Amino acid sequence: MSFDDVISAEPIAVEPLLALDEYPECGGLAMFVGTVRDHHEGRAVSRLAYTAHGPLAAKIIREVEATTRARFGVPYCRVRHRVGELGIGDVAIVCVVRAPHRAEAFEACRYAVDAVKHGAPIWKEEFYVDGTSAFVEGCCIRDDFDDHAAHDHSHTSHDHA
Amino acid sequence: MKHVVFELFANLRKLAGTEELRVEAGDAVLSVGDALTLLARERPELAASLERCACVSGDTIVRRVDALPADGRIALLPPVAGG
Repeated sequence: MSFDDVISAEPIAVEPLLALDEYPECGGLAMFVGTVRDHHEGRAVSRLAYTAHGPLAAKIIREVEATTRARFGVPYCRVRHRVGELGIGDVAIVCVVRAPHRAEAFEACRYAVDAVKHGAPIWKEEFYVDGTSAFVEGCCIRDDFDDHAAHDHSHTSHDHA
Repeated sequence: MKHVVFELFANLRKLAGTEELRVEAGDAVLSVGDALTLLARERPELAASLERCACVSGDTIVRRVDALPADGRIALLPPVAGG
């Protein structure tokens, strides 16, 4: 199964995702572009490495696209995520939504990005300027914690900025 | 003797120092949870991390109570950044 179109080892080309020649009923396009920032929880970051479980990550992203279209009544939603070595300012994720009006375009775009960030198995290893590195772990993908553990769903290192 | 092969990702791969771990499983190992218990016993340094991992067979999340996948392969997916 191919997932190269969703999970990309190459830089993501934004222009082909806009679908401006389609959807004449749409008067809105919302786009989110996530880029690599140079700090995390007070530490200076020099670069990142993204890795993924390709088959499940692609499946979840396709599901999020479909859910977004249905839930917000928008005809078009595309999400693309980079993997590999990224420098500061490099594009990590792109989400494009086309919608009849701007309100649902913004809402749908935000929903899709949050859903992919929380649910797709794509890991971020940060490399700090002091030469160390760490994986940022905030959200369990696991969904079968038993009842006593269900409330442990941890967001300790969870930065929504 | 059947085997279970665990595919490791992200920090778990770093902790274990390898991409795959193969464990010998007796006939009593029937579920995903049984296999994880076995792995935690063989590699106690990974036990705490295993608790927070999702288990995947192919492109599908499997639960601890599910039967061991027919191909004996389980991918272990640690938490993601989220933010």
